[in-house]
Amino acid sequence: MPAARDLSGVAGAPSGSGRVAAIRIAIILVVVALWEAASASGWFYRDVIPSLLTVGRALAVLAVNRDFYWHLVVSLMEVGQALAIGGGLGIAIGLALGGSRFLSRAFERYLYYLGPTPKIIFFPVMIMWFGVGPASKVALGALSCFFPIALSVAAGMRQIDPVLIRVGRSFHASPMQMAAKIHLPAMREPILNGVRLGFGVAIIGTLLAETKLSNAGIGYLIMQAYAVFDMPRMYAMLIVLFALAIAANELVGRYAGVHAVSGS
Amino acid sequence: MAAGERALGAAGAVAFGIAVIAAATAAVEGLLRIGLLNRYIVPLPSEVLASFPRIVVEENILAPFVVTCKECLYAMLLVAVFGILTGTLLHRFVALRAATETWVAALASAPIALMYPLFLVLFGRSATTVVAMGLIAGLPPAILKTVEGLGGTRRVLINVGRSFNLTAGQMFAKILLPAALPNIFVGLRLGLIFCLINIVGVEFMINFGGLGHVINELAERYDLPGTYAAIGFVILVSILFLILTERIERCLQPGT
Amino acid sequence: MGAIGTEARPAQAMAPPPDWVLVVEDLGKRFDTPDGAVTAVDGVSFGVRKGEFLSVIGPSGCGKTTVFNIVGGLEPGYQGRVRIGGEEVRGPHKSIGMVFQEESTFPWRTVLENVSFPLEVAGVARAERHQRARRFISLVGLAGFENRYPSELSGGMRQRVAIARTLAFEPTILLMDEPFAALDEQTRLILGDKVLQIQQELAQTTLLITHNITEAVQLSDRIVVMTFRPGRVKRIVEIDLPRPRTSEIVGSEAFGRYVAQVWNDLREEATRGMAESEIGALSRRP
Repeated sequence: MPAARDLSGVAGAPSGSGRVAAIRIAIILVVVALWEAASASGWFYRDVIPSLLTVGRALAVLAVNRDFYWHLVVSLMEVGQALAIGGGLGIAIGLALGGSRFLSRAFERYLYYLGPTPKIIFFPVMIMWFGVGPASKVALGALSCFFPIALSVAAGMRQIDPVLIRVGRSFHASPMQMAAKIHLPAMREPILNGVRLGFGVAIIGTLLAETKLSNAGIGYLIMQAYAVFDMPRMYAMLIVLFALAIAANELVGRYAGVHAVSGS
Repeated sequence: MAAGERALGAAGAVAFGIAVIAAATAAVEGLLRIGLLNRYIVPLPSEVLASFPRIVVEENILAPFVVTCKECLYAMLLVAVFGILTGTLLHRFVALRAATETWVAALASAPIALMYPLFLVLFGRSATTVVAMGLIAGLPPAILKTVEGLGGTRRVLINVGRSFNLTAGQMFAKILLPAALPNIFVGLRLGLIFCLINIVGVEFMINFGGLGHVINELAERYDLPGTYAAIGFVILVSILFLILTERIERCLQPGT
Repeated sequence: MGAIGTEARPAQAMAPPPDWVLVVEDLGKRFDTPDGAVTAVDGVSFGVRKGEFLSVIGPSGCGKTTVFNIVGGLEPGYQGRVRIGGEEVRGPHKSIGMVFQEESTFPWRTVLENVSFPLEVAGVARAERHQRARRFISLVGLAGFENRYPSELSGGMRQRVAIARTLAFEPTILLMDEPFAALDEQTRLILGDKVLQIQQELAQTTLLITHNITEAVQLSDRIVVMTFRPGRVKRIVEIDLPRPRTSEIVGSEAFGRYVAQVWNDLREEATRGMAESEIGALSRRP
């Protein structure tokens, strides 16, 4: 008797979503209370754990600060370029590796092993190659996002159900038609998933580079706040950054996972 | 016959890959020697190779390597303890899990590495900062995979336990945990990879501690071949970690 | 379909015969499905004598597995009573050992460690539990495989490991839910021989849930035939075949008669079950 539920069990079960919301609110309240207590306790250096009110005020100040938006745009442009370059190369290389068993055997292992290495250590090299300006940050971001995108596109291409390819061939589709009507739609999910992963590491690569050496961008602003010990401002910027990153990740994830909600 | 041919093809492909990389390296060497590439931007590959013994002997890179390994070890111990504990808690209390699992997943996708200035303020330029960064990077996969593993225990195995009148503690120790172990190990392996990336990255950023610190020093001294060799060393270490943990993972799954 | 709670039931005032170790009285169970509440089991009563091999047989969807789960104490929220040695049982009981239909060996334990499991839980010392486990391993014919992992064994061998593990629990009643359902017919007959031999050696009281007529007749002293939804007891058939038995008996004339008799009872139910599931599939179409 599949899909059967126990009548007696159902009767006592509390309604799910309301309880979850209540727990979430409770957790947030507890965290806020602990945070405020820690902030008021005086156990930490001045302002290391600032009151949330102060952080809120810093957020409000940021929100009306034109300078902040300029730096934000600088960072976003860098991340965008990094994603375009690294992602474009990643998709191209991934398609080549996924399409050819020979190339995959010859080169994919190097990508696989280079993928999970810290990319920020290449920053000195990037500075030598591309200078101290935005180009070196873009390069580091591109380097970061190239690997996950290439690997996930290659894997996605291999996972296409062979019967779909046979169907395409049986209708005498041209190579272009095959790519546009069979390969790409079938690979939508792995490609978007790769872009999602790539986007995350592109942000990290680019902004970490900014915090190391730059004169513009959110990373630069964070280090400035650090230098003058303006903790509320630093928290505010990190919150904005996290919110943007998580929202973008959600957005791409939702777009990618229309057919596979059960993932994660 | 066909299998042999295919094996030859595979070996041929690997050889081709190695040949292309060797040729590219040789080409860079050649271009540098005839002056088409700038030696002050890209060092001679032969010099980089020659620098490997130098960074081991003169820069004593094995000492910072041990430092990084220790930091990784401490961070991973914390990841294992807190990750498995939190994962177990989330598995045990379904409502808590429903409330927080998306948060943990969101945290896993957030640019955690950028929080290092915060830890710098809290703990200063110290090993604590480095370990803390490793910990928060490694924690999300350990938690998520623990929850996934415990929740994925086959129903019939739980029923076997119930039919033998297992207590809740025995059920956890003898059925849920062993059934989840392969998954938990996957989580710890992912955690270790993130941990290592973040630890070396933070060492580089704050110029303190192990391997990342060495790269930063060499770069600031403008020792090009040394910097390249140190980067190569870190990559080798990462690959070694990756292969090692893959091996252990395979050993931990008897028969499957 | 029958509203269980409101229906008047005959009182079970009569005490069960004293040689009945397991008494199932008036079991009833309803499930909530997307198509409304379904009565899976209704008014099922039977008893198992000491040392007896009793099978419950019925078409798919007659609630056999529900009976298995209730008797094993894994299914809460039912009507009626399960009594072992006169004592009412709610929840898993130490005198019942269960063998499940699905693959249920622990993949992370060797054969020896799997079979020792119930002894380990009971706190038996390592040397002794291994010694006792070895006995049951050779009883199911797996001597020599003690240190193998389940993934190195065939499906039939794994199911024997599961049986040995339950036997090591030394249950008063062995409760099995289609333990050979996933195996091919020949393996099933040979494992049947093994089960007959074990039952003989241990005088093991056994309750087998099955949908396989040959298997039921080959192994049982009595067969409880159940109706299709709601599952009720249609008839209890005594199998008066000589013991000790082997699978050779499958060829005998008496065996054929019993199979035909049970099939006659079942045919109607199975046909009804098939028709209802087909109608169900039709009506569920959007």
